[in-house]
Amino acid sequence: MRSLTNFAPSTFEERGAAVAFTTPVLAQTRVRKDSRDQLEVLVPNLSEGRGVYVVPWKSLPLAFPMTVHDRMLHELIAKADGCSPDDIRKAVLEAARCGLAGGGAVAAAEAALSDDEEQRLLINYQLIVEALKAVGLESTEILRVGLTSAEGQKLTRDLMMKAAQRLALEPTELYGRIAELAVLMESIGLASSPKPARLRRLMRDLQGFRDSMTDWATDNVSEAAPIGGFCAEVAEHTVNHARNVIGQLDQAMASFETLLRQWETKRALIRKASSRLSWLLDGWEYLILLWNDALTQDRYSQDMAVHDIFRVIPLLPKDEGRADQSMMADKLISSHKRSVRAYVDWRSGQLDVDLVMRIETIKGKAA
Amino acid sequence: MEMRDLVALGDKLMDIDEAKFRQVVGLLEQMNDHPDIQRTIAVIRPRLVELRLSRRPTLKRLFCDPFEDLFEALGKADPVPLSVIERSLMNSLWPLVEAEIGKDRLRAYRPALQEGEERKTLCEAFWTECAGAVAKIAEGAVAGHFSEPLDLRMNPNRTRALADIAVILSIAPEVAELKAALSPKPVPKLHGDHIEAIQTIGRRLSRVRPDALKIFVLLAASRLTNPSVLLSGLWDMDLGQKSADRAALFMSLSSTVVAQIEDRSRAGQAAGGGDRMAVADLALDLVATLDATRAAMEQSRNKEFDHRLKQVRNSVHSMVKTQVLQDADAGIVSAIGALDGGGDVREGRAQLAQAENHARALRKCATIADSLGLRGELREMTQKTTASLTERAQKELAGPAGNARSGYTAIRMIELIAGPAEANKIMDGIMNGDRR
Repeated sequence: MRSLTNFAPSTFEERGAAVAFTTPVLAQTRVRKDSRDQLEVLVPNLSEGRGVYVVPWKSLPLAFPMTVHDRMLHELIAKADGCSPDDIRKAVLEAARCGLAGGGAVAAAEAALSDDEEQRLLINYQLIVEALKAVGLESTEILRVGLTSAEGQKLTRDLMMKAAQRLALEPTELYGRIAELAVLMESIGLASSPKPARLRRLMRDLQGFRDSMTDWATDNVSEAAPIGGFCAEVAEHTVNHARNVIGQLDQAMASFETLLRQWETKRALIRKASSRLSWLLDGWEYLILLWNDALTQDRYSQDMAVHDIFRVIPLLPKDEGRADQSMMADKLISSHKRSVRAYVDWRSGQLDVDLVMRIETIKGKAA
Repeated sequence: MEMRDLVALGDKLMDIDEAKFRQVVGLLEQMNDHPDIQRTIAVIRPRLVELRLSRRPTLKRLFCDPFEDLFEALGKADPVPLSVIERSLMNSLWPLVEAEIGKDRLRAYRPALQEGEERKTLCEAFWTECAGAVAKIAEGAVAGHFSEPLDLRMNPNRTRALADIAVILSIAPEVAELKAALSPKPVPKLHGDHIEAIQTIGRRLSRVRPDALKIFVLLAASRLTNPSVLLSGLWDMDLGQKSADRAALFMSLSSTVVAQIEDRSRAGQAAGGGDRMAVADLALDLVATLDATRAAMEQSRNKEFDHRLKQVRNSVHSMVKTQVLQDADAGIVSAIGALDGGGDVREGRAQLAQAENHARALRKCATIADSLGLRGELREMTQKTTASLTERAQKELAGPAGNARSGYTAIRMIELIAGPAEANKIMDGIMNGDRR
């Protein structure tokens, strides 16, 4: 076992991706691959002590009593190919959809999936328009007849043929490049998009979280105030990094013609930036919702929420942040210690129904 | 903005954003004590408390300071004081106190509202004078009659509250000390230094004002998350009394605590229908309070209290039986049917949420079933419901034309009622059977 603050991951992969379990002790714990490419899970602050337990993925149900939803999610993640934030999100939505975490979670998962679908269409259309614009072709006609209509598709094909000629590319090659780019940019979207995509929205919410947490921690005499200040600071660093990455992507998109022509060299950059952004913002959605929920409650619940957030806050890996956040977190540990607040009913060892319900409610708000 | 418009806003003020809300409160403050303003303030009071707006200091607010903890609770989750003072009584009382003391003398107390060296002395003098005025007003208000000056009918509770206010004001410096020791309110657990402070101030009080000791202890209790907790600590506390006096004080406090439990259980019975989770929460809370009270009263076996507590237990028993246990199986199983399509989606979802709440309430009550003598009935109901749900899940998940969503929802209900271990077992059973 290593201490929370000794545990300062160097890379995102070492930090692992957050999993939206509904079992309170496992909520937002992180999963990663060990040296033998086997999944393992990191459980921080067990029983309010210092340190992180590393449990092999297979043994997780033996080590902790889990809700049925979590058992299903556990199996889905084990079956999935990887454990990147996107892989985990896919599994989480699939598990939530079957109804084991309540009606709210089903509705939220369905809303998220239909939003993904909408964004997929939108980004494909936008990239085609950008490609045409880059070679000086007019695209408003497509919009008029509709992209999905037969006429619209024919028109698009013709125009894209022309565009491919001008770019000196095979049409299939151009389609292939755009399709690949669409997949990479799907969760980020374009800066000009009428409806911001998921990660852009998340970054905006994270800015809101930072402001709200800073306001809360300022002039607050509670013991949790310095911890809240620290959480705001981590959010600030994360937002700055995310803003840089989005800036790079937007810049690349702005010179679209170059991007298409030099796809072979640029592809790696776009892929890296897009994956870095999803790693950067991974785990924040739940914390933002948790905090928004706490803001409507009394001071005591807000203090508790700040402790809960601190427990699983996604610290930037050493290689990412200039400031060593784990060192700073270490200094706060003493004020994070409280009387033991069990995640299970101490009389029966059973799950705390109220806590599970709270997590499920927050899950229902995520869309 | 006109006053009329502000007042017309009424409960809309609960939803406007915080900055605007603060602005409106500022405006309302400037408009003095008009009855309409008071009504509006009463409507938005829960939000005022939540935001902890520091309101403009007035003499009226200073007057209330010593006994404010006894005002009726605003939120559902706020602790109910053991001895309540109505805000309306205080609102009618203050103008009388003002008239009794006189405008000129009151003006002399104004500096007490600002920070300064003489503040403490001035405050104490103000409270002493107010105590005299309230005592005089209380003499004029006869129980059972309508009091013209107060514009209220003097029921026994109001007569008691008036007398309490007079006593509290007369020991205001001690109360201020107590409030400083037991803060911030509400105090979730009594620690050594809390008990020490109550004892020290209490001992001092019992030398000079033994009659004020009961209300002093009630005030201390009202600053706790669960006011009846103080009762269990009280027997071991040395408040400097003779043992006979101590027994009498303990009896009288016990009576107040028991009366409050009785009130709450009656209110719970009367509420009926509605939110089953709230019923379960209330039942759990009442049983915990009952146990704490009974344990505290071990020292002074009293048949009358025993009898009253037994009656409360019976009423909690029937509350759980009729509002949580009854028809649990039918309600929960039929809600899953709402998923099979055909009906209104929103209605189906609401029905499902209600059924989930019912299932959680059942599980919650398992912890108190033993002490309420409902163990057998609860187990029977749980088993019956689980069996029907298992059958349903089996049909939906293993059958050829099943609706997987309904099947998983049935499993979820089992989880809520019987816990994840049981639900996982049943789920594994169904899935493995399917594979074979």
